[in-house]
Amino acid sequence: MRLPTNLLYLTLSILPSAFAVFADEAYNVDYHYELLGIPQPHTTFFHRPRKDEKATLLYTLSDLGVLGAVNPGVGNVVWRQFLGQDAHSETGFLRPVEGENTVVSAIGSSVNAWDAMSGREIWGNNFGGAIRDLEVLETATGNDEARDVLALFEEGGNAYLRMLKGTNGDVAWEYKDGSSDVPLQVSTNVRNVFVVSLHGSSGGYNLKVTILDPVTGKRTNEYTLTTKADIYAPEDVLLVGANSAAPIIAWTDKPMKNLKVNILGKTGDIQNLPLKESDGEITKVALHAPHLVQSLPHFVVHSHSDVSNRADVYHIDLSHKSIKLAYSLPKLPGQGAISVSSQDANVYFTRHTQDEVVVVSSASHGILGRWPLKLEKGRGSFVHGASEVVQRTADTYAVRSAVVTTDQDWVLVRNGAEGWSRLEGLSGIVAATWAEIPESESLAKVLEVEAESNPLSAYIHRVTRHIDDLQYLPDYLQNLPKRFLSSILPGESAPQKQGVLARDNFGFNKLVIVATQRGRLYGLDAGNQGSIVWSLGAFEIPAGKKWDVKGIWASPSKGTTTVRGAEGEFIQVNTTTGETIASTTPGSAPVIQSTVVVDGPLQKWLLPIGTNGEPGQVPAVLAPKEYLVVQGKNGEVKGLKFETKGDVANPVVTWTFTPPADHRVTGVVSRPAHDPVASIGNVLGDRTVLYKYLNPNIVLVTTVSDEASLASFYLLDTVSGDILYSTIHEGVDTKQPIASALTENWFSYSLWADITPTTDALPASKGYQIIISEMYESQIPNDRGPLDSVPESSSLEPSDIPNAEPALPHVITQSFLIPEAIGHMSVTETRQGITTRQLLCTLPSSNAIVGIPRTVLDPRRPVGRDPTPAELEEGLYRYHPVIEFDPKLILTHKREVIGVKDVITSPAILESTSLVFAYGIDVFGTRVTPSFAFDILGKGFNKLSLVSTVIALWVGVVVLAPMVRRKQINGRWMA
Amino acid sequence: MAAPPPPPPQWVIDLNTPPAARPKSAGIVDPPGYTASSTGSKARSPKQVSSKTPARAPPTTEEMDVLKLKKAWEVALAPVKQLPMTAIMMYMSGNSLQIFSIMMVLMAFKNPFMGLMATNQAFERFESKGTRAKLIMVKGVYVAMQILALALGIWKVNKMGLLPTTRSDWLAWETVRDPMEIAIPAF
Repeated sequence: MRLPTNLLYLTLSILPSAFAVFADEAYNVDYHYELLGIPQPHTTFFHRPRKDEKATLLYTLSDLGVLGAVNPGVGNVVWRQFLGQDAHSETGFLRPVEGENTVVSAIGSSVNAWDAMSGREIWGNNFGGAIRDLEVLETATGNDEARDVLALFEEGGNAYLRMLKGTNGDVAWEYKDGSSDVPLQVSTNVRNVFVVSLHGSSGGYNLKVTILDPVTGKRTNEYTLTTKADIYAPEDVLLVGANSAAPIIAWTDKPMKNLKVNILGKTGDIQNLPLKESDGEITKVALHAPHLVQSLPHFVVHSHSDVSNRADVYHIDLSHKSIKLAYSLPKLPGQGAISVSSQDANVYFTRHTQDEVVVVSSASHGILGRWPLKLEKGRGSFVHGASEVVQRTADTYAVRSAVVTTDQDWVLVRNGAEGWSRLEGLSGIVAATWAEIPESESLAKVLEVEAESNPLSAYIHRVTRHIDDLQYLPDYLQNLPKRFLSSILPGESAPQKQGVLARDNFGFNKLVIVATQRGRLYGLDAGNQGSIVWSLGAFEIPAGKKWDVKGIWASPSKGTTTVRGAEGEFIQVNTTTGETIASTTPGSAPVIQSTVVVDGPLQKWLLPIGTNGEPGQVPAVLAPKEYLVVQGKNGEVKGLKFETKGDVANPVVTWTFTPPADHRVTGVVSRPAHDPVASIGNVLGDRTVLYKYLNPNIVLVTTVSDEASLASFYLLDTVSGDILYSTIHEGVDTKQPIASALTENWFSYSLWADITPTTDALPASKGYQIIISEMYESQIPNDRGPLDSVPESSSLEPSDIPNAEPALPHVITQSFLIPEAIGHMSVTETRQGITTRQLLCTLPSSNAIVGIPRTVLDPRRPVGRDPTPAELEEGLYRYHPVIEFDPKLILTHKREVIGVKDVITSPAILESTSLVFAYGIDVFGTRVTPSFAFDILGKGFNKLSLVSTVIALWVGVVVLAPMVRRKQINGRWMA
Repeated sequence: MAAPPPPPPQWVIDLNTPPAARPKSAGIVDPPGYTASSTGSKARSPKQVSSKTPARAPPTTEEMDVLKLKKAWEVALAPVKQLPMTAIMMYMSGNSLQIFSIMMVLMAFKNPFMGLMATNQAFERFESKGTRAKLIMVKGVYVAMQILALALGIWKVNKMGLLPTTRSDWLAWETVRDPMEIAIPAF
């Protein structure tokens, strides 16, 4: 009786979830990492979004220019604003307005104030030049008016300090520094505004402090500090204490023996604070000071050596304007992070070391709280953090800190325990590739062994193997009902085992290997909601620089992934585990501009192409037989062929495409590497065939002329260099993105065009346009063009006649107006190319990705008339000049995917499905079915009712069969 | 003296002369010239019957052959008589693939085929020494008629677009031209 009760229990336990609301595919097949970028130390803080609210939010402006508010409780993003898209310099500034519902950001040339709760813009103001510093002006009296903002700009070699009104961002006054000094920072105490700038030349700078009146903006005083021996670059100045009661400026001497400090406003006074060396030389010194006027004027000097770190706390005597050492924090091994938080006048320093979190008050060296560090996994050591200390009772404290680790995670440590972690290192991806999960080879190997040995031993081996397999039988039997139920019950997809990488029957489980601009590699499991399989710090990229990845290639046969950077660096890792197999450092190989996967006589490999499109000499055994298409120094497109001479092969230029004078090449696209075509012609309504022009060796070159506002598109044959088709657009805004895609027998591009007085031929239109062109072998149906049905074609000698013209495609073009700019275009890929392709376009202004079906983008749609029945049969409907981006077309539905740079696609085993992965700042992945999921049962298919119908029929037959049989026998006796 | 044989008992009479079948509804008079006893009394008075209708001379062989040939012609031309009807129905039923038109097309193919298969059986009855030579032509006409019916079916199938007569039907067997050179984009 055990089994039935068990079964009953199992059934009952499954029932409630089975009858829950059917989850739509949204949020189920797609995944999204809502990322901010690595938070910067000076732009990350806790702040109350409302004055009367107790809970704080965590604000940051990241290295990618994303401003965001994070809920410190659970770590989800409350709101985000992408500010970095127009800014060329990535250094931004973010300041909270204490006691108000506002945060103020400045990046590039614009200053904006944001509602701290909702993330809506309150005001914004744009200036020329670039922002150098931003500060919120503290007022002495607690008046209710919004606080004004000081913004320091560098414009045309001059420094401008502007005071912006806190209510609307208008300029209240402007101070222009006529000298050509480098503006560095602005700082205030209540009475004065200090502008610190670097005076002199790059051989060594003196610090110039200009004191301004905060009400009028007039200069009241100015003094210079002699620092020529110590300061050579703006980075050498450590800190200009912001809004504290006694702002200071600090720097170190070159050998890092002494810290030099000037209390702003005290002319010509430089105080020397010795830096104690404990073990080895000090490599990094950081200063942390509170940012509030009411806080005590204390600061901490945090000095790092290679193996340990220590800190000294100093007090500033306001009346004498002197600095004295209060106490020291002991030396501890490893790296650590110190953060400052202030509550009223109290200042707390939170020190994060390798194994504990310590909170001390700035006033005395007594430890207020000490918690051992418990992280869920190794995350490297802490780099910097922001913390919030709360006094619970008289002598109990609680602290939570958001800390950036060397593994580029952003971890919230709450009283020593890990609250949450965000994979901010995944942001800023510069290159990505799909990789197949290697097949499990153990069984294949075993079978191979059996095949090779003699029959008797093979038989014994097999029997023992099967007996061995018996140990899995109970497990299998136990899982059988679960598997059966999960396969028939709707809404519950079979949960994948965590941490197990295996291929699935549909081909959805694939890896994506990505490389970020900060030199890290990640392996993502696309079949398991994009979960991180492994991560690896490949190269140390200096701050302010980006890793320029030129090639990333996952070899399916070897199970390795190769990444090549622009400066010759190279790393080869195991695709599934992320273990480094081989690597070289930057600079050890020549600079490269691109890479290409070529098929040499021995193996496939990633061939680096040097600057100016010169791959250089390669060994003959590796030389590819194919032609190569490369770009030269000025963007010109060239065809190359390797000519073997002895043991080496040299590239020879076979043709060059140079754009017309004052045009420059902005983009070259080719057909995807995997671009199968199932049908070589389009069947028309009258059952004739328009043959597609299917030349694999074509590229679409985009050239623009900024002066003449022209954009030209050239379709080139990449073997012969012939121009197959070209078109020119007038009145094009070349600053707007021009995206293009080429696949199968069609290409499309989008641009912003205006009506020009010279256009007279066609009814021109103004706005964003998408243009689609289809190429056919001939304009006459049932005609295969001049080449007819010859089985092979050569671009070099198109026909037997010498020097014959190439067979030009017949191109049908149509343009459509679209509501917004397209940042990037790509097309879906499926296994056999039976499914129609979908054009995937990223929309930077609405942070979305749209999939435009080909039926909409059909250049043969009848214009100005209703379609004939034959055209209707083809699925053509009347041309409408505007394509609206229907919310149903948006692949990202409600998600906001910001900063998408590229979308890569990969075929699944199911013909209907294409895997999509979008990267940039955010990471987004989904599956698309352009011709609908014709080869898989949808979620809406009610397997339960099918099974129950079959069971009911079976029961009916079992019950009725004896009855019918009895009746028949009785009937015979009655007759 | 020998007494006349006693009359047969009533049951023998009843057995020999069963009552004439009465129509179910009484009161309807038999039509003129109908003798109710004809079936019952046939056995008893065959002379009477034969005397009423004069005996017809049996047809000669030639006459029989002519008759058979006539009959054969009728059989041969039977399929063509249905054709206008079938054509109209086919025309009316449209070119879409539905159960009705599919069944009709199936019948349009099945009937002529069956007819063609059974050509000899159809004319077996009319086969004789005299008709054999003439029947060949009749059979020829019969086959032609069946082929005509088949042609109608083919016309219908063609109308429905099921015959691979256009270029698009052979598109799957056409191959893309192989390029002799391959260029790899490397930018």
